[in-house]
Parts: sequence; C-alpha cells; structure tokens
Amino acid sequence: MTRGPLFHEQTARQRIAALVDPGSFDELLPPPERITSPYLAQLGIPVSFDDGVVIGHAKIGGRKVYLAAQVGQFVGGAVGEIHGAKLTGLFKAAARDRTPCIVIVESGGVRLHEGSAGEIAIAETMRAIFECRAKKVPTIAVICSDIGAYGGMGILSTCCDFRVMTEHGRLGISGPIVIEKWMGKKAYDSSNRALVWKTSGGKTKYLLGDADSLVLDDAGAIREAISKLLGKSSAVSLKAVKARQAELAKRLKRFGQTEDADAVWKGMGVRDIEAASLASGPEFAAMAKREK
Amino acid sequence: MEKFTKAFPSKPLKARTAKPWALAGVVGSGNLEVLLERAGASGTMECHVETSIPGYKSSWLAALADFATHYPAGGTKVTIHDQGAPPVLVNLRLRQAYDHLTGGDK
Repeated sequence: MTRGPLFHEQTARQRIAALVDPGSFDELLPPPERITSPYLAQLGIPVSFDDGVVIGHAKIGGRKVYLAAQVGQFVGGAVGEIHGAKLTGLFKAAARDRTPCIVIVESGGVRLHEGSAGEIAIAETMRAIFECRAKKVPTIAVICSDIGAYGGMGILSTCCDFRVMTEHGRLGISGPIVIEKWMGKKAYDSSNRALVWKTSGGKTKYLLGDADSLVLDDAGAIREAISKLLGKSSAVSLKAVKARQAELAKRLKRFGQTEDADAVWKGMGVRDIEAASLASGPEFAAMAKREK
Repeated sequence: MEKFTKAFPSKPLKARTAKPWALAGVVGSGNLEVLLERAGASGTMECHVETSIPGYKSSWLAALADFATHYPAGGTKVTIHDQGAPPVLVNLRLRQAYDHLTGGDK
C-alpha cells in the first residue's frame, strides 16, 4: 500500500496543504506581515514570523473552512498573546461567516514567557468557539502530533464539537512530566511511553469518548474524517452538559482508584489487550465498536 | 540577542518566481527560520539577522556572502530568526527558501 508522508512528520503549512483542496489555502497574517511576539523580543528570545500558528481559509471538498495549524517546534507550539489572538480571530470569523473551523493542534498549552496574556487568549478563544457552537457552526480539533494537546490547548480542544485523533496523538491537561513532578515517579513514570499513551493517547481517548474518530497517521484519512464531521454541530445545552457531567462522575467512580491503565481498557470492553495494543487506529476503533 | 543588517552584491534573481515570498525552517533549538522576499534593488541581497547566540557575526557574514555569490539572489530581502543553527544549516535553509521562492512549495 502506498501512502503519502506521515501527517505527524509534516510541518504546519504542509499539513494544511495536504488536507485542503489543492491551491485553495489563503493565509491570513502571513510571515511577511511580521506580526511577532513583543514579549519574547523583550526577553531576548528569538521571535517567529507567524508566532507559531498558521491561520487562513481554504476549501475541503469545495466547502469553505477556516483553518489553523500550530507549529510545535516553536516553543512547543505554546500559545502567547499574538498566537492566541490569531486563534480567537479565526473562530470569531468562523462564527460571523457561519463557516466551519478546524484547528490542527500541536501545543503544550500557554506560553510561560507571556503567561497572563496567553491564559486570557485561550479563554477568549474558548468563548469564540462557544459562539460558533451556539450558531451550530462545526468546530473540529485535529490532534495527531508528537506534542499533542495539553494544558490550555487540551481544554480548548475539548470545547470543540469534535476531535479527530490518531493513535499517535495525545490529549490531556497536565503533561506527563508535570504529573510526575507533582505526584512522584512511583505514581506516574513519564518515561514509560506505554503508560503515557495508555492514559492520554488516541486509543484511550477514543474508548472514553473524548475522541470522535481514530484514524491513520495520513492526511487523506484525516481529511475523510473531517469531511464526515463537517456537516454536524451541536449547540451546548444545559441538558447535554449535565449528562456529560454525570458520565464523567461515573467514570471517576469506576476508574478513579485504579493504578493499572489496562484495567481502564478492560473496563471499557477491550478483551484482548495485546491485540488492541498492536492494532492500527481504525482497526482499534472497529474492535472497540464490536466489543461494546 | 544580536542583530545586524548587511547588503551583499548578487546577480539579479530571475524576473518570474513561483511566489513573492518563501519560508524555510523553524525557530527551534539549533535551528533557524529564513524568510526570503522579492524586494529592494536588483543587484543586492539585503540581509537582516537576529540571533540568540551573540559573537558570531563574522561567520554569519561569510555564510551569507557565500550564498550571494553562488546564487542569483539580487532583488531579494532575507530575514533570519536564529536559535543557534550551525553555518551548514544556515546555508541549507537559504537554499530551501530560494528553491521554494523560485520553484514553488514542494
């Protein structure tokens, strides 16, 4: 089987180009405009032309979408004031134009060098996402990279209607190293990759319902998953939030005390842990559905 | 942080390029980003460098002068954000940006 380059190995701009109709991407605030971080410059840290996020609009299957892709290699894809303002503006434009908005996440969260500005920017972006959802404008987070979606970007991703993940992607609030520093290596060993992915990786997130599709690490597969979700959106209702809260309370009661990641998989209906571990994303999703 | 600007003589860039600007690389440890734009006088390559590692201006000027000699890059503006890239990588990123500018994104 011949396939294109792995999605997680591509750069932010390559990822966008691979997902959208050829030549349809129009970048907003492109590098020549030099909208860079004033804080990093003050601290003597080199700035980046796009402040670590590429935004714009394009077409997917002929349908207009707004898109953002974070650059994980620049300060870990972390959200500073400019970076966050670009995300906020993009979701606001999506709500205004009633156009779906997709964010390709690769970020550890807020940029510590500009903490307060970054936190506020994340909050403003969440507000813009809920503006979209109130108008039933689809919002999708694509989490398919090494860095994944952590901290404020983890929360922001879960505010979107849907999350498309690969086996490779990770989603959480505190990152593995942070948890280890707080709780100790005995409680959570961040160098144990199997443990890290069994607790925050795409497969586990799919089992728990935090990811809506689990796909191959390939632009074509991700594009197909996005296309299927583009038509749908749900407004946030009190009833839905209460139902979700009850579900989470149940999950906490069930798995809150367990120290074994496999127990969560078993509890969610995975019978053969080894086969499930070796399965590809789509195979795993099919298994999980069959065994439910 | 060290900043400097210098223009180098270079043969004119061809009249038509695939794009008005091109970007190569990323600001990460041991890496740099190069923005190459069509701008300025046709006989010079105008360079703006910002680097987190001070004290290597002579190496930078040598690497940039070398590129301006080997490639027809007159009428371009080069802006660099550097986080400690070695000279060989500077040359590679310049060539990548040039390639994207003239031939389009690969």
